[in-house]
Amino acid sequence: MKKLKDILKDYFPILGLVLVAVIFAILTKGKLIKLSTLQSMLSTVMLTALVSIGSVFVFGSGCFDMSMGGTLCMSTVVGCYAGIATGNVVVMLLACLAVSLLLNILKALFASYVEVPLFIVTIVLGSILSALVLVIMGKETTIYLSNAVRKLPELTPNGLTILNLVVLVLYFGLCVVLFNYTRLGREVKLLGGNPVTFRQTGLNPVRVKLLAFIVAAVGVALAAFVLLMRTRTAGASTGGSMGTDVMVALVLGGMPLTGGPRSRISAGLIGAATITILNTGLTILGLSTAVIQIFRAIVFLGVVYVASMTYRTKLLPR
Amino acid sequence: MNEDKLIIETRQLCKNFGPTVALNHVDMKFYRGQITGLIGENGSGKSTITSIVAGMQPATSGEMFYQGKPHKPSTMLEGSKLGIGMIVQEQGYVSGITIAQNIFLGKEGQFRRKGVISRKEMIKAAQKALDDIGCPDIDASWYIDRLNIQDRKLVELARVMAADPEVLVVDETTTALSQRGRDIIYGIMRQMRDADKCVIFISHDLEELMEICDRMVVLRDGNLITSLDREEFDADTIKKHMVGRDIGAKYYRNDWDCALSNEIVLDVKDVTSGSGLLMNFSMQVHKGEILGIGGLSHCGMHELGKVIFGEEKLLTGTVTHVPSGEQITNARQAMRLGLGYVSKDRDKEALVLAASIKDNIASAALDKINQGPFILPAAENAYVNKQVKSLSIKCASINQNVQYLSGGNKQKVVFGKWIGRDGDILILDCPTRGVDNGVKAAMYQLIEDMKAAGKTIIMISEELAELIGMSDRLLILKDGALAGEFMRSPELTDHQIIDCMI
Repeated sequence: MKKLKDILKDYFPILGLVLVAVIFAILTKGKLIKLSTLQSMLSTVMLTALVSIGSVFVFGSGCFDMSMGGTLCMSTVVGCYAGIATGNVVVMLLACLAVSLLLNILKALFASYVEVPLFIVTIVLGSILSALVLVIMGKETTIYLSNAVRKLPELTPNGLTILNLVVLVLYFGLCVVLFNYTRLGREVKLLGGNPVTFRQTGLNPVRVKLLAFIVAAVGVALAAFVLLMRTRTAGASTGGSMGTDVMVALVLGGMPLTGGPRSRISAGLIGAATITILNTGLTILGLSTAVIQIFRAIVFLGVVYVASMTYRTKLLPR
Repeated sequence: MNEDKLIIETRQLCKNFGPTVALNHVDMKFYRGQITGLIGENGSGKSTITSIVAGMQPATSGEMFYQGKPHKPSTMLEGSKLGIGMIVQEQGYVSGITIAQNIFLGKEGQFRRKGVISRKEMIKAAQKALDDIGCPDIDASWYIDRLNIQDRKLVELARVMAADPEVLVVDETTTALSQRGRDIIYGIMRQMRDADKCVIFISHDLEELMEICDRMVVLRDGNLITSLDREEFDADTIKKHMVGRDIGAKYYRNDWDCALSNEIVLDVKDVTSGSGLLMNFSMQVHKGEILGIGGLSHCGMHELGKVIFGEEKLLTGTVTHVPSGEQITNARQAMRLGLGYVSKDRDKEALVLAASIKDNIASAALDKINQGPFILPAAENAYVNKQVKSLSIKCASINQNVQYLSGGNKQKVVFGKWIGRDGDILILDCPTRGVDNGVKAAMYQLIEDMKAAGKTIIMISEELAELIGMSDRLLILKDGALAGEFMRSPELTDHQIIDCMI
């Protein structure tokens, strides 16, 4: 029989989500749970979740990617240009996918062959991507899908919600299967848990990192696509805070950023919901973006601290 | 024992790890001027009680008294400041910093001059600490990563002794040490006793405990079973107390047959390893033999295991898997060719500690338990349960994390990982390091069974008795080269081998 403490530990992320939702529903005097707010939050949750779920593979394998925001931005901008140039939704999606795949494969190769910590490489890459987007856009600050050579299909709010949901459910389902019922998922957790043991068990770290980044790239591309379908614009600030949002989401979802066996796909989804409620709730309360940033940072550090304390006590001698 | 000499006392001490009871209402006393040995099978609670006394973790309930006062240290640093020094079973140092910084970790303040830590003075004091324990050859200014496992343990000893402790706890350290290291640590324990200080010595080596200790305390399943004074020491009685039943005399192989097959399975030729510890080394391994590899520390035997498994880069030479004709260059290929490798450094190299028993055992068999692209829980559980059952791994469930297991059970998980693959060649580097006699006997039986099934075993070991008792053929390495070869024989003695080693 599991003790109540262990059961609570297992459900801590969900309890955290419920707690955050209840607290902010009370603090905002019910404004948080108004239908319009819920609909807007749902779109944001899905966007963050698409990137976060894929990132479970990357962070789970012990790779620390700080350039997810930049990758999403570049993918969205190039996808937007492709949509404008062709007026074809499929080409737009493929362009988003091509860019995120190219960038993520590059990161996987860096993580495998270059002896510089990946988080440093990806910080630099994030800056380069932001600069590159500005170079590509030239004098334009925002690009519009409405300038497409052929009119691209425009979805109603309900249609958009359905598209978002279908994309998220399919991607989440795919990731759950890959993570829990295939070799890739096992290998991701083992690599993140102990790379030396992983290698000495005859497993191939390059292959695992490559596949992990590819799965994550699909999530980023889908996020870029649904973002374009929703906003119908792209710019240098697209996906700006996504990098930090994803990291906070994973931690709030109950996963260590160092990866390993405690990684789980549900962390991406639950964490995305928690961070979105947190952001929206604080915004409704009238806090400035700067104050919200500080608040999120404190929550982030708090959760990491509590998680690391639990981890340390588990490593004591027997 | 004179109660005036009482220095540490525990009363009704309990420690639980989830559902597991590690200590069950233990009343124990430790005295000055005495070396007290703690013995018991893996998971008996030896390390748990000493780690609580030293401040590494808190007790669940119960009381402790140190020098007559209530004792409840919250950190090891606090324990150390009170005069309790402990050398831990597993890694007790910090990588990436110098030996001097390790020796004075948390106590750097004493070298502060005008707000700045004097590196020079710290190194000087650390070198003195190393010289004092008899290790002048270790340079305190080096990074600790430059040392091998044995020497790192000696640095830990220097760190503990630099604080001039009243109580020294040596937890299962000697198995990681060469003979020189053991002699150093025995000398210090005796010095401590003669200076009317207290020594608590944990070891699985009964002979070693009987030789060094003045008193021995036997623990079993978290309970104190008995306390014996030196004149009451008797190996059979102690073993009986440890396991709670009579254990048979069977330990090593009984047969003296050492006929070797003509079939060569591995050909190691002119190998110089990247670490430089093996120099132009050559050997051949016959199908179905137990090949023992021994030598002093730095002789290159541990590197040889890694070289054969493709885990260490070669500067010259080749390792060939003769049946396939392939040269082994990496672990993946070695596994494909039917090789397995049990590393000496269990926690750092052989296991993913935060993962479950299931994940660890299945990790080497993902290519065997898959069904198309999928790994289904039923197949995986069946595979893992089979290994857990055949190796009698003590666990609450296969989903239990390996970090919760005792040393012996962890080692069984590592064995299960490789044996389940049913490979033809198994490289075992110190397979019985830090495991109790019961588990040791089970491991030896397993090795015999594998030999009987036609498997080839390469057993690297620092224990001469094990090498003599189990090997068909024994190679002794010295300075990275072959110093001698012995065939299995009842006449083979420790002295012959030691003469060859030194």
